[in-house]
Amino acid sequence: MSQLILFNITNGLIVGAFYALMAIGLSLILNLSGVINFAHGGFLVIGGYLSYTLTPYLGFWGALIVAPFLTAIIGWLVERLLIRRVYGRDPLYSLLLTFGLAFIIEDGTRQIWGAQGLPVSVPAALSKPLRYEFFFITGYRLFMVAMVAVLIVLLFVLLRYTRSGIRVRAGTLDLETVSALGINVRALRSLNFSVGIFLAGFAGVLAAGQLGLDPNMGDGLLMPSFIAIIVGGVGSLTGTLLGGLLIGVAAGVTAVFFPSASDAIMYVMMAIVLLVRPRGLLGEEGMLS
Amino acid sequence: MTAALKAEGLHTFYGKSHILHGVSLEAEEGKITTLLGRNGAGKTTTLRSLMGLTPPREGSVQIFGKEMARWPSFRIAAEGVGFVPEGRRIFPNLTVEENLKVPLERPGPWTIERIYKLFPRLEERKLNRGRQLSGGEQEMLSIARALLLNPKILMLDEPSQGLAPLIVRNVFEIVAQMRSEGITVLLVEQNVRMSLEIADYAYVLDDGAVIYSGPAKELAADEARVQAMAGASAEDWSDSLPHS
Repeated sequence: MSQLILFNITNGLIVGAFYALMAIGLSLILNLSGVINFAHGGFLVIGGYLSYTLTPYLGFWGALIVAPFLTAIIGWLVERLLIRRVYGRDPLYSLLLTFGLAFIIEDGTRQIWGAQGLPVSVPAALSKPLRYEFFFITGYRLFMVAMVAVLIVLLFVLLRYTRSGIRVRAGTLDLETVSALGINVRALRSLNFSVGIFLAGFAGVLAAGQLGLDPNMGDGLLMPSFIAIIVGGVGSLTGTLLGGLLIGVAAGVTAVFFPSASDAIMYVMMAIVLLVRPRGLLGEEGMLS
Repeated sequence: MTAALKAEGLHTFYGKSHILHGVSLEAEEGKITTLLGRNGAGKTTTLRSLMGLTPPREGSVQIFGKEMARWPSFRIAAEGVGFVPEGRRIFPNLTVEENLKVPLERPGPWTIERIYKLFPRLEERKLNRGRQLSGGEQEMLSIARALLLNPKILMLDEPSQGLAPLIVRNVFEIVAQMRSEGITVLLVEQNVRMSLEIADYAYVLDDGAVIYSGPAKELAADEARVQAMAGASAEDWSDSLPHS
């Protein structure tokens, strides 16, 4: 039994790490640009499929690095050509735009790579279990969690210690004043959007190694990512990280005792947080007002 | 006289409300020009129009001879226009030092080290968040932030608002000091007496139009007018001013 619980907690942490990675990207974009990016799951798919296409040429490790960067460049173009036009408008515009984009990406993926799922193999060194008793802790699972952790730490360091990062944090609360201090806020938003998309692309590459590829693979991650943001608190990236891990583990643990409720538990958690502390665990008051 | 900044016939709207009705003004290079007037006269809107934050629908804004009326604010700032907004608008979630790292790094004499020499209080509090500062410290930070852009023109919107008298004097001294640094200053204020004390030239705005302009000394010498304006009872003083 204890092994089963451990298995599900581990599983929950891994899933939660993905939620967090997706949710932090969404959160970055929402905080600086006020856009809820429904196409975020689509960019995860693009990242995964690009790595599939690149692996024969660059190998697993090369594709792991290059595919997220290519995804970020696509994201940058999408921001410049489309997303930018809906800034400052009624939120309905950005919802419609990104919702439409999500469909276009999903069907585009089907056109290019086919509707069938594709298997993805990871290097043998990463795929075997570490210990016989803990058969479920494969090297690849640890690797995924480690990569997510490295990325998130890197992002927090960039936000804290680089001028661009500081400007993004300043712009989250008062973009007009950032602009009045001479900062090209259009470029800042593009950069920020690309960073969020980079994280989605990276999540796609990592997820492909575990789950294989499927044009719909982004769908299941999007809703939990939104919930992670709400539970953690809109405006707080640390909260978003915490929210992602929490709902992942909660779903994992619930799966042991009451499997059919494991999907519902995150909604229950969201409802409780909204009732008890509407701004989320670490959210700032009035962040979106 | 060379005008560092020259605005002509500004018409600015907030939605459908017509706020500025053809405001024209000039700020002479290396001098302090003050813009006075009661609440709601259009002072803040004038600065926001000049800064590109609320772009004028009609009119021209020339800064060192370059037409900038349709530019986004970051391009105007990047040309060397520092802005100290109404209510200071420091970033509450960032530390003092981080606040100072937001502005564009234009080349010039101002560095964070030099700022800390001018405002030792900010260095003492450099790890505190913006929201933890007193009003006076926030004002210093807001001015410091604008100076780090190494501006040729500095626009301040009511820097003395809500500050204790002693600190107000301090703020005006710093503004006067900027002139000796060769910075052109455009100062919007409610504190008529102190503004006229340090300014070279004055404009008075009412209902979105300039109703007086002249050397600050001349306006300051007219005790009745100053008293009426400083008395802050809005209706009676605007009538007491001759239209220029």
